Order: sequence, then C-alpha cells, then structure tokens
Amino acid sequence: MTVTFPQKGLPWLLLLPQLLVTAIFFLWPAEQALEQAFYQEDAFGLSREFIGLENFADLFTDPLYYQSMLTTLVFSFSVAIVGMSLALLLAVMADRIIRGKLAYQTLLIWPYAVAPALAGVLWWILFDPSMGPIALWLKSAGINWNHYLDGNQAMILVVIASTWKQISYNFLFFLAGLQAVPRSLIEAAAIDGASPFKRFWTIVFPLLSPTTFFLLVVNLVYAFFETFGVIDATTKGGPGQSTTTLVYKVFDDGFVGLDLGGSAAQSVVLMAIVGLMTVIQFRFIERKVQYS
Amino acid sequence: MTDVILEKVGKTYPNGYHAIPSVDLSIEEGEFIVLVGPSGCGKSTLLRMVAGLESISTGELRIRGERMNEKEPAERDIAMVFQNYALYPHMSVYDNMAYGLKNRGMAKKMIEEKVSDVAAMLGLTELLQRKPRQLSGGQRQRVAMGRAMVRDPKVFLFDEPLSNLDAKLRVQMRVEIRQLQRKLGTTTLYVTHDQVEAMTLADRLVVLNKGKAEQIGTPMDLYNKPATPFVAAFIGSPSMNLVDANLTEQGIHLSETLTLPLSHQHRGDIVWGIRPEHLEVSDERNADFALRIQAVESLGAETLIHGKIETEFGNGEPMVVRLSGPHLPEVNSLMWLTAPMSHWHLFDAKTQQRL
Ligand SMILES: Nc1ncnc2c1ncn2[C@@H]1O[C@H](COP(=O)(O)OP(=O)(O)O)[C@@H](O)[C@H]1O
Ligand SMILES: [Mg+2]
Repeated sequence: MTVTFPQKGLPWLLLLPQLLVTAIFFLWPAEQALEQAFYQEDAFGLSREFIGLENFADLFTDPLYYQSMLTTLVFSFSVAIVGMSLALLLAVMADRIIRGKLAYQTLLIWPYAVAPALAGVLWWILFDPSMGPIALWLKSAGINWNHYLDGNQAMILVVIASTWKQISYNFLFFLAGLQAVPRSLIEAAAIDGASPFKRFWTIVFPLLSPTTFFLLVVNLVYAFFETFGVIDATTKGGPGQSTTTLVYKVFDDGFVGLDLGGSAAQSVVLMAIVGLMTVIQFRFIERKVQYS
Repeated sequence: MTDVILEKVGKTYPNGYHAIPSVDLSIEEGEFIVLVGPSGCGKSTLLRMVAGLESISTGELRIRGERMNEKEPAERDIAMVFQNYALYPHMSVYDNMAYGLKNRGMAKKMIEEKVSDVAAMLGLTELLQRKPRQLSGGQRQRVAMGRAMVRDPKVFLFDEPLSNLDAKLRVQMRVEIRQLQRKLGTTTLYVTHDQVEAMTLADRLVVLNKGKAEQIGTPMDLYNKPATPFVAAFIGSPSMNLVDANLTEQGIHLSETLTLPLSHQHRGDIVWGIRPEHLEVSDERNADFALRIQAVESLGAETLIHGKIETEFGNGEPMVVRLSGPHLPEVNSLMWLTAPMSHWHLFDAKTQQRL
C-alpha cells in the first residue's frame, strides 16, 4: 500500500518531532562524544587540548578496561543464557496448558512492564544483606550473602535482576515459536517412537532455532547496553570492579572519575559494537523462518 | 486372522463434544479398510484413536488380540501418513525415513539397508539428501509413505493423504498406494471424504455419519444395497435420486398424481431411490413419468440431464439422469423415463433403514 500526501511538506512536518528527538538526544551527543574522544579536558571543563588517538591508546592499554570487557561478556552471556533457558522452560510448560493460557501469559508480562531501575531496587531490597528476605533466608541455609563484599555474589545479583526483566520478552517469543510448530510433527515423532524429551531436542528445539538465535542477539544487546539502571540500583558496579560493565564504566569514568576524554573514547567503542550487533540483528530478521 | 478389532469404541472430547457414540469394526489381516464420510463426521477422530493420538473414551481397541487402549502410539506398531505429510522440515529425506528406526535402536547398517530398499521401491533414491522443502507435493507424499513403510508396521493408518495433491497426481498415487498395499500385505485403515477414492481403494468401506458407522461392506455391497438413504446418497456419483414418498396398497405415491405400482407389505412414509444411471429413456405410452429438463451437462462419454418430475401442479422432485454417449435434448422439453423396479431402493422414512 502507498499513501500519497497532497503536499510535499506534510510528511516532513509529521516526522519532525521524531527527527528532533533523535537529533537532540542521539545525534548531537554522539557527535559530542566522537569529538570529545580526541581531546583531553581538565576536571572543571574549562580548557581542552587535542590529543589525537591518545585516549584510545590509553584505553586499550588499561588492564581495567579488559577486565570490564570480560565482566561484560560473562554478565551478558549469563543474562542471555539464564533468561532464555528459564523462558523456554516456562514457554514449554505454558504451551502444554491449553486452557487459561491468556492468564498465564499476562502474568508473565508483568516483569517486562516493571521499569528496569524499579526492578533493580526490588532485587536490591530482597537481597539486602541485613534485612532482605532472600538474603536472610540464604543465611539461615548457611550461605553468607553479602554482595557488597563478594564480587561473585554481586555478579549473581545483577544477572538475576537483569534476567528477571527479560524473561517475559523471551517467553512470549518462545511461546509463539512453540505454537508455530505443527502438532502433527510432534505426533509423527511420537509414533516414530521418540520419548517426549527426545521429541523436544530432535524436533521442537531445532525448529525453534531461528527464534533462539534472534533472542540471543536481542538479549546480548540488552545485557550490553540496557542494564545500566539495574546495575546502578543494585551494586553500582562494585564491589571493586566486579560488576562494572563497559556501559557502566563509561558513566563511572566520565561522571565519577571525571575523565571525559577517556569516557568518550569508550562510548565510541561501544557505538561501534552496537552498530555491529544491529547489523547482525537486521541481517537475521530479513531471513524468513520456514516450517514446512 | 482378525488383526484389528474396535469394540464399541466411542469418543467424548474434553470439552464434552460427543464425536463418536460407538463403533464396532473388525479388520482382517491384510485388509484395506476405508473410512469415508463428510467432513466433520469423526473419521480423523476414529483413526487417531487407533493411532493412540487421542484417548479412547469408551470401548476397547485390540491389535492382534492385545488390548491397546493404554498403549502409547509408539507401542502399537502402527505407522501413520498425515494429510499435511508432517515431514520433519529440518531433516533430509533419509533422516526423515530413518528417524523411527533410530529411535528404536536399530543398527546403523540395518537402517541404511531398509531406507535404501524402501527408497528404491518408491523412486526416492535420488532425493535422499534433499530437505522436504526442496520436494514437490507428490514427492513429499512419497516420503511420508516411505517413512511409514520402512518401519514395516502391523497397521498403516492414512488420514486423507491425497487431498493436498492435484487431481491427476491424486489418481496416480491412488493406484500406487493400492498396489503397494497389495504387495506388502499390510493391514490398512484409510480415511477420506472422497467417495471415488473410497470405492476404488477399499476391500471394505465404513461409511461414517455423525460418528456412527451407517454401513460396513464391500464397495459393491454399498452400491447395490445401501442400508440407509445417507449411504445411498453418499456412494455413487452423481448421487442417487431420492424422493420422499408414501407406500400404500396401490404402490408408491411419488406425488398426488404419480404412483408407481408395487405390492409390498410395508405401509407409510418411505424414501424411494433410483440411481441416475438406472433411469431409462422411454416413450409417452410406456414411461413411468416425465422429466422437465432444466440443464444438460455433456461430458462426452456420458451426459447428465438435470430436471424435475413433471406433475400437474408443477414443482416435482428434482432428478438426475445419466445417459451414456452424447445427447442434446432441449432445455424445458419433456423427457419420458422408465424406472426399472429391479433398481429401486426403498427406505423407511422413520427408521431410515432399507426395506
Ligand atoms: N480436540 C477436539 N475437541 C473437541 N472437538 C473436536 C476435537 N477434534 C475434533 N473435534 C470435533 O469432532 C468432530 C469430528 O472431527 P474429525 O474427526 O476431525 O472429523 P473428520 O476427520 O471426519 O473431518 C468435529 O465436529 C470436530 O469439530
Ligand atoms: Mg479429518
């Protein structure tokens, strides 16, 4: 379908708000960051000096940066794998329940509707070492929970908090994927002597692989770039650097450490990564999924 | 030897829908049984109960004497061909056929042997490495059959396996299925809504109507002696002419003014039937009645004439006549017909049973 506008100006006028928002909140800061990355600025923002690629050179020789990269990878893959596994499990269960499916689905969309920072605070309260119900329960079970001191526990906490928000999204896609698998295929496999477990792994799961791959990319992008709120609300990147992901480090170095040039250089690297992942995602979406 | 026995098998779906009240059927070893009936009459339900894909609500299913009600589909030693073929889209033709054998723990060597034997029989040897989406409809159909055949099951189940094929291929596959089944001698239960397919394939037919087996018999039994008007109308093409009538001492009153003489002890409302191919063209003096012609369908080898029985008050019963060879009577003209008594079919209107 094609829509034609009588005047040439109207479509532009309608697009203007969106374009303005993009320009003010994305293009302009991006340009600023790009420019900033090549300068060194004093702590008060009064003077700056062009230093070429020095910010990048510093960045790639800084062991803390590599540390943060590793943290990000561990964190992102944990979020993606935990979130997707749980969602798939729930989706498989939901797929079996024919009745009341709608209620079940609605229930599972809830966490997705909770704003990330709020979800962060929620988990922060639940896991608070001195008064959080889950922390107290863990203590009674013999596990000394204190994510302010223990880096691994801090990582577990941010993974849980970030995963929680993503499960509903994953669930909906997996459920849709499962429901698109023709019943007769499962029945044919049952007649062919495959156990329910085998049916899942040899028939259903391979047919879900387009969905799985799509979700993997989406979840990695999410964990990389959209978990700032959760981390800030729960661990603030600590203890030490143990939950400082690349995105959190941009904020930490720039606004807390006041190294604006270094922070800008990190932003540029992140922009490149985001660009790459977006390309992968689009490439993938263009490939049509076929079942028959 | 009796191979498959359905004893008072009934089905009520979880939502309370009573799809099959009670069906009795015993199938001999090697027999080709066709379940036929209009869409929604419960054919698939019955077949799926035999396969174990639907639970049996009442009654018992036995295969080779063993009760099957509680057995999983895999334990029944049946193979099924689905209407949409249900080929595993991510597996090659070879893997599709080998899947059931692998699951049963057969040695790799054996599997290779069996698959290549069956593939050769079905002309699939060249296609073994292809994925289902790279096959034509007819080839997919063959793969689905191959997948059923490699397992060498006790019973083949087919659920409308030809309905996704074009007309020409359907006829070709129909012949092929029949030949293969004869060769393998495997007991077969085949579902279709197409009465021509049913008549040509079946050793015996089961005509289902609203979940009830209206009649079970050979194609010729059903053609010559349909047990109910439903069977009479369903078997044969074009359908049998059926007229609501009344039986008295004088004979059959097809209308106020039209009576066919007959001495019969039954009295009351009946359904009188005669097949289009059994009506004969006659002249005014010898005719039983006249037909006011409404439409003529010339098919070359035969001609179908549609009209209404001419009565004094107009509006007689519609009737179809089938004549061999080309005929070109005028529309709106009268055609004189005789209906030979030996071809009449009488049914009690109340009980719907053959008289
Ligand atoms: N899972 C089900 N739950 C409730 N009713 C069903 C179910 N499956 C089929 N039916 C109903 O049972 C009847 C018979 O269906 P089916 O056996 O598929 O008919 P056919 O194969 O002869 O077209 C239909 O009226 C159908 O709507
Ligand atoms: Mg059906």
